Amino acid sequence: MTSRCILQTALLVYFSTTVLAVNYDLLRFQLSSSSVECQELLLQLNGTTKDCLKDRMNFKFPEEIEKSQQFQKEDFILVTLEMFQKTSDIFRRNLSSTGWNEIIVKNLLETLHWQKEHLEEILEKIMEEENFTWDDRTLLHLKKYYLRIVRYLKAKEYSICAWTIVQAEMLRSFFFLDKLTDYLPN
Amino acid sequence: MLWSQNASPIRPQHLYLVVYINLMFGVLSSLPDLSDKSCTFKVTLRNFRVILSWELKNHSIVPDHYTLQYTVISIPDHMKTVEHCSNITATFCDLTDVWEVLSETYAVTVDGFRGNTTLVTCFIDFFLATHISLEPPEFDIVDFTDHINVHVNFPPVMPKILDGKVLQFYLPLIIEEQSGGIVKKHNPTLDENVTGNFTYVIDNLLPNTNYCVSVYFKHRNLEEIHRSPVKCTLLPPAQDTGSSESAKIGGIITMFLIAAVFISTILILKRVGYICLRNDFPKVLNFHNMSSWVFPEMPPLEAVAFVEVIHINRKKKVWNYSYDDESDSNDEAAAPLTNTGGYTKHGLVGGLLGPTSASSATWEDRLEPDTEERDLSEPEADTDPLMALGTNPGGSECTSGAYEGRGKLLQDPFSKEDSSSTEGSGDKIIFNVNLSSVFVSALDDDDSEAPPASPSFPEETYNLEDSHRLETSFLEARGEGTQPPFPTPSAECPWPEVVLSDISDSSESGVDTGDGYIMR
Repeated sequence: MTSRCILQTALLVYFSTTVLAVNYDLLRFQLSSSSVECQELLLQLNGTTKDCLKDRMNFKFPEEIEKSQQFQKEDFILVTLEMFQKTSDIFRRNLSSTGWNEIIVKNLLETLHWQKEHLEEILEKIMEEENFTWDDRTLLHLKKYYLRIVRYLKAKEYSICAWTIVQAEMLRSFFFLDKLTDYLPN
Repeated sequence: MLWSQNASPIRPQHLYLVVYINLMFGVLSSLPDLSDKSCTFKVTLRNFRVILSWELKNHSIVPDHYTLQYTVISIPDHMKTVEHCSNITATFCDLTDVWEVLSETYAVTVDGFRGNTTLVTCFIDFFLATHISLEPPEFDIVDFTDHINVHVNFPPVMPKILDGKVLQFYLPLIIEEQSGGIVKKHNPTLDENVTGNFTYVIDNLLPNTNYCVSVYFKHRNLEEIHRSPVKCTLLPPAQDTGSSESAKIGGIITMFLIAAVFISTILILKRVGYICLRNDFPKVLNFHNMSSWVFPEMPPLEAVAFVEVIHINRKKKVWNYSYDDESDSNDEAAAPLTNTGGYTKHGLVGGLLGPTSASSATWEDRLEPDTEERDLSEPEADTDPLMALGTNPGGSECTSGAYEGRGKLLQDPFSKEDSSSTEGSGDKIIFNVNLSSVFVSALDDDDSEAPPASPSFPEETYNLEDSHRLETSFLEARGEGTQPPFPTPSAECPWPEVVLSDISDSSESGVDTGDGYIMR
């Protein structure tokens, strides 16, 4: 009886560990799919920069992400989570001047939200399994990047040109995010 | 992905949302239209060159030259004029060396002039990574019996826009193999610095089969694929020499494996003990000395020593209570007389029990008494052993023991012990004889002599049927040649030795009868 309980407990712990383990291959696929999906939704948003070239701004996307620097898996989760979170926050702001299709915007927000929650759960799991320290500099640079975007929108009073410029910048950020998933460790 | 029960990562409602979005929008099936009100643009990766082409929507307007300018949205910079795309008559421009970043939104202006008059101005902005059309590269195939080499032409210098892992990650190369309605896709891994002729081998193909090959770049964001023109080939049939060589090699390898398995099995069985190999073959199976076996050596001249056995019929003295003097004297006189001729000659073969004599008779065979002796023996007479048949002073145990030893010798004349003991015994034959009842003589000169008349000793008889007891006695004889092996008397069973050379010795032990016999 005791041996059977021990065996069952051991099996439960083993399979629980397996269940709780993060499958980074699947995470890579999900993140890549989400990035591509977001790009496609952004592309469907109408707009042209023909009359907005004077409103352009260099938001200074973090170079370590643009260059696809190798991150630890914990840093990668934090970076991607921050990007989805901030992008979602940006597109929840005043879009009235854009004239964009609200369904497309809604779909974009739901995709961002789902991926954000997914990443939060993974991050909680990683924090439960092991103690780790992440690189604050990259996260700080990323926070500053999105802060600049928000300040720009505010400064431009959420004009159509500002949103068009931000739209182009978001396309760029998701391209980097998609490229970054290729460096996710196995 | 496996999750805990509390934190289910793929909640059903979210999954349904993602599926809905994908079904509604999905991946772009085709490239978005790059056009404005005047022109339609198209950016293409052709032979690893970034080509921007345009077409005026209003065909009535025909500029005689064009000038192209561009800028990047992420950097607040002025429009840049591309020098090699200024005042060109072509409606396309190679911007490979100008546009170095794939992940940029480019804003392009094309002015159409006729003379100095601007007839049309076209403007377009597009995110290059999602709007570039990928035309398949040039390639060639070389067919073999069971594989096809696909040679893809890469430029000697890869454009900067495809630097790093951009090509592998964003524009992976796909090689399609088609045969019999079955399509297989191959995704070769491209190095970052892949240049020149890139060769990919499609192996495991069937000989004498038609295969068609095409290549293309798989766009990461688009489902639209531009396949290259298909190149088909019929693989040559398999060559016999090659197949025969491979069959030979396979046969040799198979034979080697079988032999290895067999040998290892034998070794294992031998080690375990199932197979017990003996090196000591019986002598009958010893064929080393074939010559001697085929041509057996003649037995050496054997020394034959003849020993006369004098049977003494010893009547059981029955007291005749009749006191008739004549009867007593007659009996006493008659007894020795009747026994005078009552001895038997036996020849002892010196090499009787030698190892080389395969046909030598046994000691028992030679000690067959004459039939006359049987007649002489009386059933009621005491039968004491004579000649080889003498009593063993050592007792019955020694007798039986000696007999056993001798019996061993007889039974195994080819044993090594016999041969060694034969060599050690020299040229002597040792017999134990009851000297009290035996006359012994050397037969060299005395073969023709008649048995002595010695009525002085009582007649003794022995029963040859009990010869197995009598054989425990040995008579020593001298002769040439090999001598049969005899067991050496043990300390417990001393055997008396009789020396024939002392026949003439008129010692205390015997009385010389004058005819070569010693009466003891």
